[in-house]
Amino acid sequence: MGIFKRFNSQFKDIIHDSELLFILAKRDISVRYKQTYLGVGWAIVRPVMTMLVFLFAFKNVAKIQDLSGYPIQLVIFSGILFWNLFATTFQSVSNSIISNGNLISKVYFPRLIICLSSMAVSLIDFLVGLVVYLILMLALGQSISIHIILLPLALILTLLSSLGFGILFASFSVKYRDLLQIIPLVVQYGFFVTPIVYTSQSLIGSKWFIYYSIINPLAGLVEFFRYSLLVKYHLFNPQILWISVASTLFIFSLSLFVFHKREDSFVDHL
Amino acid sequence: MQVIDVSSVSKKYKVYKNPGPISLKNGLKEVFSRKSNQEFWAINDVSFSLSAGDKLGIVGNNGAGKSTLLKILSRITKPTTGSISVHGKVASLLEVGTGFHPELTGRENIFLNGAILGMKKTEITAQFDEIVDFAGEQIIRFLDTPVKRYSSGMYVRLGFAIAAHLNPEILIIDEVLAVGDADFQKKSLGKMKEVASREKTILFVSHNLTAVANLCNKTLHLEKGSVKAFGDTGQILTSYMAALQNNVFEHHYERPELAPGNDIIRLKYAKLHPRLKEDQSYWDIRHAFNIELEFWNLGGTSNLNISLHVYASTGECIFNVGTGSIPCRYGLIRANLEVPGHYLNDGNYVVSFMVVKDKSIILHNFEEIFNFEIADFREDTTWYGKWPGYVRPSFSFPIEQISETI
Repeated sequence: MGIFKRFNSQFKDIIHDSELLFILAKRDISVRYKQTYLGVGWAIVRPVMTMLVFLFAFKNVAKIQDLSGYPIQLVIFSGILFWNLFATTFQSVSNSIISNGNLISKVYFPRLIICLSSMAVSLIDFLVGLVVYLILMLALGQSISIHIILLPLALILTLLSSLGFGILFASFSVKYRDLLQIIPLVVQYGFFVTPIVYTSQSLIGSKWFIYYSIINPLAGLVEFFRYSLLVKYHLFNPQILWISVASTLFIFSLSLFVFHKREDSFVDHL
Repeated sequence: MQVIDVSSVSKKYKVYKNPGPISLKNGLKEVFSRKSNQEFWAINDVSFSLSAGDKLGIVGNNGAGKSTLLKILSRITKPTTGSISVHGKVASLLEVGTGFHPELTGRENIFLNGAILGMKKTEITAQFDEIVDFAGEQIIRFLDTPVKRYSSGMYVRLGFAIAAHLNPEILIIDEVLAVGDADFQKKSLGKMKEVASREKTILFVSHNLTAVANLCNKTLHLEKGSVKAFGDTGQILTSYMAALQNNVFEHHYERPELAPGNDIIRLKYAKLHPRLKEDQSYWDIRHAFNIELEFWNLGGTSNLNISLHVYASTGECIFNVGTGSIPCRYGLIRANLEVPGHYLNDGNYVVSFMVVKDKSIILHNFEEIFNFEIADFREDTTWYGKWPGYVRPSFSFPIEQISETI
């Protein structure tokens, strides 16, 4: 009961300081593309380039023409869109406490605000990428699925999972800097062990896939995400989604608990 | 009403035995081996309480735990044991321009820094012009330039201008007064005084004892993390300054063989004696002092005189006085210098003297025989910056109105 009370008061603190949350988010966004020529255009260039590289690899090198019956570009692009959202959020949240160390060691405010505000840039990049995706989809003669109304839900789940992992890493990496070295590895390997540039078609029959979805909630989430973006996407499995949701919520709550336990000692290790 | 109540607060830091990064490996080792690291108590059993409107000055040597205490009070770090209760909205200024982002413009940073310090957007907007005005003309021209292009002076002025417009019930300040050029300091301190006069509780760490004496009604003296003294400013500062100053300056040598000097001249006795006012235990600018010197003349009969120099700690010679030249025979010679009060400004000084033969040949130069410090003293002032100049005369300088017509 005590924990819920404390969470509640923490939540109230964050609401109370929501102006600070927004201004920190605004800071990150306006600093992001300062002194660049393309500016926010980079949010378009990066996913497009990644998609082109995989198209080249699949079509010209591996000679794969088809991924489960959907336009290969869209499968890859939606996967990359999802993965970039997860990975950049996860990375910036993980690093947020250390990179804002100067603030944390000089002023008091609810520390969670730093983690929350550092999602802003990834979110903007995602929205820009989403527009590009929709244009690409229409250009390829596809129509927009009615399931797109589920996109906000998919988005929230993705953010919760990246926040969960990010906050866990942020909580421990302040003291144990070794974890900072692990973050890029998680992003790099996660990209391949999650159905990002492939679909879960070949996995979905396997018995272990259920257990795998518990450890890697992203596997279920990415297919849910595609379900909202591709017409008649048949690889979406509600059972797997429920597992992913449960696992995401568990990780997120755990991260809040751990963060709360550790936030008082952050300053001593910065 | 008590707004701040600190009860037996302590803060422990671990001092890692094998200094190296706190790695995961070491962390695990620590968990499994339970090997105790050395502990260091930065704050040890500190208790005090303040009522609304109290202005507390926190003084102490470097490493006394002043900054750690401020961090605990402003909730930045938790005490290891003990508890604090604070009633009211707190703003802490541990640094000027906290969270300034170099890539953002002055304008953007005002809003960012204001929000970080706990101001609402509406408050910042309402005071925006005032803040910019306070920061000075230069800032107005560069308001839309990234602050990375600012000079360090401009940066600090902008930071202080924002801080000066905070309006919390409790304000915690760490040495931010020591910023900017003299003019800006004057303005900042004036603003501080204005802020202090309101019904606001202030906690203020400073090495500027004049500012503490004039701004604060209570003082906390920390020593090695513990409370050395807490109470009314006048009383605490007196004992603090007395402890800081070493007011006995005396060299005494029994026999010439042990004394500094050379074959002709040996120092027997030297004493610097400040004439403190009766109720005072430390030396300030009002006090006269004298320097008494005795030396052995081991050479033959010759005409000797003493030339004495007083230097500022920065090396400039403040003055040089000489005795007359008198014929001296083998034996003991004495000289006595009287320096009036209201003569040297506050600061650190060094005394050297030389014994000169026939007004031209230096027989021996006794360098740096005394190092001393004179504290500041001011009454009825609103300006606590360093009083400029090496001398601090109190010349007669009357001012009067001579007519009411123009």
